Amino acid sequence: MGFIMILVLSPLFSGIVNKQKNFFTGRIGAPVLQPYYELFKLFKKETLHAKTASFISRITPLVHFTAILSAAAVLPVGFSAPLISFEGDIILFAYLLSLSRFFQILAAMDIGSSFEGMGASREASFAVFVEPIFFFTLGSIAFITGLTSISSIYDSIVLNNISYLVFIFVCSISFFILAVTECSRMPVDDPNTHLELTMIHEVMILDNSGFDLFLYHYSSSIKLFIFVILETSFFGSLGGGNRVLEIGIFILIVFFLSTALAFVETVTARFKMKNIPQYLLFATAIGVLNLLIFTFTQ
Amino acid sequence: MNNFIVFFFSSLFLQIFSSIFLIVFRNNKKASQVFHFILLIGLVSGLTSVLSSILSETPILFPTDFPIPLEYFRFDSLAFYFLFLIQLAGIPITIFSYSYFNHEIKEKKSVKSTLFFYAGLLVFTQLVVVVNQAVVFLVFWELMSLFAYLGMIFEKEKKEVEIGSFYYFVMSHVVVFALAFFFFLLHRHTGSWFLSDFHMNSDSDTLVPFLYLLSIIGFGMKAGFIPFHFWLPKAHPIAPTVFSAFLSAVIIKTGIYGLLRTFQFARPVSEWMGWIVLFIGIISAVFGIWYAIVQKDIKKILAYSSVENIGIIGIGIGLGLIGSACQSFPIQVIGFGGALLHTLNHSLFKSLLFMGSGILYHNFHTRDINQMGGAIHRKTYFAVFFLIGSLAITGIPFLNGFISEFLIYNGFFQAAKELKNHYPLMMLLSAVALAFAGGLAVACFTKIYSIVFLGSQRTEIKKFYFSFFDAFSLGILALLMLVIGVYPIPLIQFVSQVLGDGFVKGNPLPILSNLNWLSISLIFFALLAVFVILFLLKKIIYKKYGQRTAPAWGCGYEKQTPRMQYTASSFSDELSEIPDSVLGYQKIEKSSNFPYSDKSFSTHSSDFVEEKLLRPLFKKIQAFSLRFQFFKTSDLRTYLLAILLMVIFYSLAGFLWDS
Repeated sequence: MGFIMILVLSPLFSGIVNKQKNFFTGRIGAPVLQPYYELFKLFKKETLHAKTASFISRITPLVHFTAILSAAAVLPVGFSAPLISFEGDIILFAYLLSLSRFFQILAAMDIGSSFEGMGASREASFAVFVEPIFFFTLGSIAFITGLTSISSIYDSIVLNNISYLVFIFVCSISFFILAVTECSRMPVDDPNTHLELTMIHEVMILDNSGFDLFLYHYSSSIKLFIFVILETSFFGSLGGGNRVLEIGIFILIVFFLSTALAFVETVTARFKMKNIPQYLLFATAIGVLNLLIFTFTQ
Repeated sequence: MNNFIVFFFSSLFLQIFSSIFLIVFRNNKKASQVFHFILLIGLVSGLTSVLSSILSETPILFPTDFPIPLEYFRFDSLAFYFLFLIQLAGIPITIFSYSYFNHEIKEKKSVKSTLFFYAGLLVFTQLVVVVNQAVVFLVFWELMSLFAYLGMIFEKEKKEVEIGSFYYFVMSHVVVFALAFFFFLLHRHTGSWFLSDFHMNSDSDTLVPFLYLLSIIGFGMKAGFIPFHFWLPKAHPIAPTVFSAFLSAVIIKTGIYGLLRTFQFARPVSEWMGWIVLFIGIISAVFGIWYAIVQKDIKKILAYSSVENIGIIGIGIGLGLIGSACQSFPIQVIGFGGALLHTLNHSLFKSLLFMGSGILYHNFHTRDINQMGGAIHRKTYFAVFFLIGSLAITGIPFLNGFISEFLIYNGFFQAAKELKNHYPLMMLLSAVALAFAGGLAVACFTKIYSIVFLGSQRTEIKKFYFSFFDAFSLGILALLMLVIGVYPIPLIQFVSQVLGDGFVKGNPLPILSNLNWLSISLIFFALLAVFVILFLLKKIIYKKYGQRTAPAWGCGYEKQTPRMQYTASSFSDELSEIPDSVLGYQKIEKSSNFPYSDKSFSTHSSDFVEEKLLRPLFKKIQAFSLRFQFFKTSDLRTYLLAILLMVIFYSLAGFLWDS
């Protein structure tokens, strides 16, 4: 149920963010359903492959999509249990994301174009900081409680405990930074510029089109939604078993997150590439706070 | 299996006997064919005997009338595990060796002596792990190192070979010195020379840390932990690929074997020793791979990546030691189990990658990856096998590297759960360090793979050599990695059998098999199904909406040349600059406004340990020894007198020590 929702609703979230962004900048903007139209359009287009491309860039869209899909399958969506859940799936989750990254970097380098090489190099360098942040957030609860499955980690969170509230606050910042980095959002990456030199993810898929590009776009909107889910699932227990209330809270938080994302994207400019590692290290550093909170409040 | 002993020793005999054919046949090619064939039969029969003995439950009987003194050997599970590892990696390397040395024969080089050294190396490495007597162990150990050294100097006319092999030579003797001291201490304490008798009494509290120190210096230097790793990036690149593959896949694992044996000898351990090993492991894992990213020489990258993997094994051993000190059964099992598994896994993927580097060297005639490129368009199978190896070494799911890293992560979780207090914090930091090393490994191996295989060729080569034997040896390894990654349970059972025999008291199997191996296999098949469905869908969509190839997008620029592609140095530029004081990363640029004047750009890196520790140390030693220059004479008798005095001094000291 939750898994199907991730599949269906993830483009909608990007649509909402874009609409809000347009609102903040005083424009009317594309309709909320625009990402669906775009995906549909890409689906029907002819696929081009570069002459220098090998089988790597042909299978990568599939591998990337499959890996992201399976990473989404281990997540609990606020009010419903995950599709797959077992002890240790937190490690699998982190490593599935790194599988998708591995192939994406290869596919970018496959063409031999220096633009895509630039994106691949940046992705490889910044991704180094991503997994530590992940371990400092959800991982820190795993280390405190000994639970190693993502859904049981979320179940163990009690909202009336002050240290958990601080934890959620710190995690939210970390997840925000992670989402921004992983899904090519504003302070880190700007996919809307017309200069390939300044992009990260978008420049890696320059030579993709048609169905391949459809898979890339679809999986990146799922990836963004994964981070939204990671955040909303903290408040899964607020509904207290009441389905309608749970869904209501879920929608509220999703809307809040999209507003936050749109707001930050409107008011900030993209960082210098050199400053991005510092930005990520900041997320790592506040992640350390999490564990200190638990170590000293126990 | 009662005649295991006969079977095993005759297989060893067959392996060494194969070198006779090198003398019998005049013709290099024919000699190499027969030699490799016989050697392979020896290895396969050895593997069969080991496997059948592992699978059958009956204990090994020692025949009474045997020409070899059998009391010097011991066949426990740990020995079997390492025998299995040596033979499993040895078989593909031997198959590869045939095709590798064929290239050298074509260039009219004499390979016979090197082939003999290879056979010797194989035999003595197997003997090292089964021997039970300390002095014999040291002799075999020395012979193993010596054969490796002799094989290493195949291209001895080159300057870098001279330097690199000398590093190895000196390192192996420092190791032997430390180990001799280690075993003499054990002998003094227990009064026996047999490894199986080395146990600590209650009054050995002061001895145990000292033993660990010696073991970390001796065995750890062989294994290549930071700061003892300096010889790996010097010695691996210059050896013939067969030897560097064997060195990295097997020889450095004998260091791990020694560390694990040390744990069997010296118990109880205190907790801080576990922490030290864990810390060394983490440092090796993170900085090993970071150094690897900066390199341009493919074999140097692989050598540094061995340091990383040895570090991961060290993390497992450290966890096991901590578990043993805290008397926690599960932590011990998972820690040592992870270390053992990763030892085997690393020997599989590292031999594949090294053999791949050998194939690349024969085709591109260089080890600099910046000169390679586009190999995927020449030989697709080769590219697929190398891809599997790169994925496995980065610990990507559904290949064997993930299985052992998964186990080690579980060890962290277990330790945090059981021990509470400050442990969660320490374990989290360790896990983060491992994850960080994993991220760096992704950067490192995407770099190798994309520079070497992807894009277009940077230098023209006419024919790409990739023989059937190359494909076969790489194929076996790739298949093994996939099988272990998807269905690890048989190997897990083997590991728990090893752990139950001399490591922990109790049955470790429930703890290891309680982890969700089956879920991992199931998810793999589910994902495979999704992938296949998508693949078919893609075919249909291509048919319906069209698909064609076109030139790559160059932002309007049409005259792209291979030289404009991203290079290894530019790919890793950002990661190289972060810790530039440790990596010694420098960019040297010469530029001028005039055209056709000498413009150049190059990047360099150096090893911290070598530059900041070893070089000053040896300079100091040199300066110190120069003070004794007044002693220098041309008279030989003076030196003989000095030696005599030294012998007298040592004997007196030994005599006084004992009384």
